[in-house]
Amino acid sequence: MVSSKTDTLRQSSRTKETAFDHSLMPPCQAACPLHMEIREYIDLIAQGKVMEALQVIRDGNPFPSICAYVCTHPCEESCRRVQVDKPLAIRALKRFAVEFGGDRMIDLEADLKYDDKVAIVGSGPAGLGCAYYLRKLGYPVTIFEAYHELGGMLRVGIPQYRLPRQVLDNEIQRLVQIGVEIRTNTRVVSLDLLSDMGYKAIFLTIGAHQSLRMGIEGEDSPGVIDGATFLREVNLGLKPSPGDKIAVVGGGNVAIDAARTAVRLGSKNVSILYRRSAQEIPADPEEIEQAHQEGIEIHYLTTPTIIKRTDGHLNVTCVKMELGEPDTSGRRRPIPIEGSEFSDEFDTVITAIGQAPQIPQAFNLRIGRGSTIQVDPVTLTTTRAGVFAGGDAVTGPSTVTEALATGRKAAFRIHDYLQHKYPKDDQDKDEVISGELLSKTAESIKTRSRQDPEVVSPKTRSKDFRPIEKVYNWGIAVAEARRCLRCGMGAEILFQDKCASCLTCLRVCPYGVPFLDETGTIQIPADQCQACGICVTECPAGAIVLRKPYDRSHISDALAHAFRQATETKTSPLIIGFCCQYGLYGTGLLSGFWRQAKAGVQIVPVLCVAKVEGQHLLRAFEMGAKGVFVAGCGEMCARDKTSFWVNQQIEKVRKVLDQLGMGSERLQFFDPSVMEEDPTAALDQFTEQIGGLYLDSLLKQEVKS
Amino acid sequence: MIIVEQKPVDEIQRMIAPYERVLILGCGTCVTVCNAGGEREVSFLHDALLLAEVESKEISHTFVEHTVKRQCDEEFLDLIAEEANDVDAILSLACGIGAQSIAERFPEMVVLPGVNTSFMGMAKQWGVWDERCTACGDCRLDDTAGICPITRCTKGILNGPCAGTKNGKCEVSPEMDCAWILIYQRLERLGQLDKMRRYYPPRNFRPIPRPRRIMASPSIVAVGGSHG
Ligand SMILES: Cc1cc2nc3c(=O)[nH]c(=O)nc-3n(C[C@H](O)[C@H](O)[C@H](O)COP(=O)(O)OP(=O)(O)OC[C@H]3O[C@@H](n4cnc5c(N)ncnc54)[C@H](O)[C@@H]3O)c2cc1C
Ligand code: SF4
Ligand code: SF4
Repeated sequence: MVSSKTDTLRQSSRTKETAFDHSLMPPCQAACPLHMEIREYIDLIAQGKVMEALQVIRDGNPFPSICAYVCTHPCEESCRRVQVDKPLAIRALKRFAVEFGGDRMIDLEADLKYDDKVAIVGSGPAGLGCAYYLRKLGYPVTIFEAYHELGGMLRVGIPQYRLPRQVLDNEIQRLVQIGVEIRTNTRVVSLDLLSDMGYKAIFLTIGAHQSLRMGIEGEDSPGVIDGATFLREVNLGLKPSPGDKIAVVGGGNVAIDAARTAVRLGSKNVSILYRRSAQEIPADPEEIEQAHQEGIEIHYLTTPTIIKRTDGHLNVTCVKMELGEPDTSGRRRPIPIEGSEFSDEFDTVITAIGQAPQIPQAFNLRIGRGSTIQVDPVTLTTTRAGVFAGGDAVTGPSTVTEALATGRKAAFRIHDYLQHKYPKDDQDKDEVISGELLSKTAESIKTRSRQDPEVVSPKTRSKDFRPIEKVYNWGIAVAEARRCLRCGMGAEILFQDKCASCLTCLRVCPYGVPFLDETGTIQIPADQCQACGICVTECPAGAIVLRKPYDRSHISDALAHAFRQATETKTSPLIIGFCCQYGLYGTGLLSGFWRQAKAGVQIVPVLCVAKVEGQHLLRAFEMGAKGVFVAGCGEMCARDKTSFWVNQQIEKVRKVLDQLGMGSERLQFFDPSVMEEDPTAALDQFTEQIGGLYLDSLLKQEVKS
Repeated sequence: MIIVEQKPVDEIQRMIAPYERVLILGCGTCVTVCNAGGEREVSFLHDALLLAEVESKEISHTFVEHTVKRQCDEEFLDLIAEEANDVDAILSLACGIGAQSIAERFPEMVVLPGVNTSFMGMAKQWGVWDERCTACGDCRLDDTAGICPITRCTKGILNGPCAGTKNGKCEVSPEMDCAWILIYQRLERLGQLDKMRRYYPPRNFRPIPRPRRIMASPSIVAVGGSHG
């Protein structure tokens, strides 16, 4: 994927299993500014391989636990599952993996390879991200931060109940561990000075901290404070006391954060004044809902016009608005309704109508729209040689992942610059699969409801700044991960010359995906295929492959591995069980198998039993198994007809076993969803039966000899 | 399409017994389509034979597998000439035509049929094949509304239905449609019931002079004259 193609550092640590991997980029990954391999790590969680999932996560994101708490998850907005029911809870799954894995899978190695020092001005996510990658690339890096603590808005903006500071501190600690030099309480006032200090390149990430003004009378009265300053004071431990009755002006996430923070500081009556309607409000719907639960009221179509300070209170005059024609932002312009003025008293008014960067004049940079630093979009260079910029200071207020992504990009562009390499445009060349599922496909996908992580009750959570969102437990995480449609990993007719146009794929597909085009050629559209692999197993010409062949090819490897183990442990009689890896933790039966596989039973984990072919079963016997079984995951299976197809393979092999006089009872299918008896008991019975057959055969041999 | 069925493994096992090195040869056309002799079945049979060896505790064969596009054209067989040199027998999973074409192409080679060539037919649904044509050489489907009584009527009668028809089914099996009732219903739908009222004289049952050969034009000089 992107990571493996563009830069060595971003190369996934997992080697690509096979020479060809035709999987297409899923929409979630395309929407993620970091292009994280979401589908891969979700699939690993679904298999119960959380450490491997964590590895994939760490490969794509230097500070995953921060994102696990506060990412605005554009991936979820693009998730195709929304066309079936609801998008995957991707952020919560990532949080599960990082909480579960903790400090593991961290690679703290970073050799110094170059002498050229790089200065990073600002320690928000853009600065931290850039420092991480530059250090990993081998440069000496120094971060200069004006405040006494690192993190930028992560530290001084985002409230602690959404991002515990311990999480932030841990991630920052790792930067120190890999050798990034840190200078806090150091506001950079001149870039020339940095050059004089020997820095060969500078990355400016000074954020957008200047709150916009409303431009109304009385805005500067005592008791009126802007959101960014208010949150900074709280976050830096200044413990302001805003009073009982608070008005927050604005409708973005900062407004919601400020309002909820005020509630936590003890304010009894907090309302938000927003000048447009509920349709236009930019804050995250989930946050709005949680704010409501905490007793915060939002007054839509309302805006303050005059603030007057009278005997310790603020008298705020507001006007009601109506929506007119769409403005340049595409949203309908709010227009004051004449004569609708009313006034109310507040102790504090917090203005949160947006922020802009504040770039010191002495930096001598070209400033563009919204006071942002102008940069070249490919190289991230400013108008001054060796000075790069990124993050909110360039884009205006954006998000943590966007900042991290530019930080990463900047590191590689600075590397190019210092090594005198031609900067390459790392626009993704990978093909992204189209977003639309045909209604026919969407309808044939089983619905399964999204499980959001639990949130602490409003009463408890609004008392203090403790984190409010709980982590998934194992079972829910696996169930949620199994909802992923694995977009872009489906089947492809790789060998058109072998295709006999037998129409098998068209007839067996549970989703009706393959079709005959107007020339009479079979097509399997990649954007509709659900990667179940049934057509791959059934294709009599061997013309179809899965775009990620590992899903099938690993079965042979795992089989060989099982036999090696059996030989080492001198197991006989040997029983081989092809078990759904996804079900391992989904059903008691399989988790039992896995952890304490019965004496003589070796498990070959498969990524859905529909991928097990007759040949695999035959080979298990050929290699010496006395009994073989296939065990599915039961109801949790994404498809109702999986058992039918597994049975086709089973029956075919059983016929051969009978023809060879080996006895078809040596091959069993355990399908927990249709079994009447307890599957564990059934397995016990099976092991005993195979043991019995084995003893018989030994006796017969002895009699013969 | 030609429909074949794989022979039981034990029968194949007996057949290959005298030959040490065996090439299992699949065919990429009809037999692939009817799930009996394409690449996947070739490798399935390969594994089944290996298992048979293991079970009998006598490892006496080596197998190679290959699937050609079409066994019934010699040019495709040229492509396996080298492999054929190294084996003692070819186990063909193509229809009888394919097997014979191997025999013709490789005069010194033992050819063994891995399948029974069953009939000419079509897929009804996944995994179900039905016989539809007998290759009688004298097609009358225009008279019978596109339904062949010679193939689909158990008795092959030309002036049906017989007295054995019951509720649209044949007396031979309550699950089998009576071909003549099907013909009647379709003629009715086509408004051609008059064809039902006609009498069809017995066909010429003189044995067909086999083997038959068709030539695109009389000017072609074919090996072996007008009969193959
Ligand atoms: C209240 C609030 C809540 C938010 N919630 C979320 C959220 O939930 N999810 C999300 O994705 N995004 C959120 N954001 C946005 C996100 O925090 C920012 O987009 C992101 O932090 C920008 O990163 P940055 O590195 O560009 O700048 P910043 O994080 O702003 O960091 C800039 C740093 O530069 C320092 N600095 C400035 N000038 C100098 C100088 N001259 N010398 C040295 N240091 C200097 C500043 O002190 C600051 O530490 C939120 C923002 C706010 C304000
Ligand atoms: S279903 Fe899975 S792969 Fe597809 S967009 Fe959603 S998370 Fe990504
Ligand atoms: S892999 Fe499954 S969903 Fe995709 S085309 Fe084949 S049968 Fe259909």
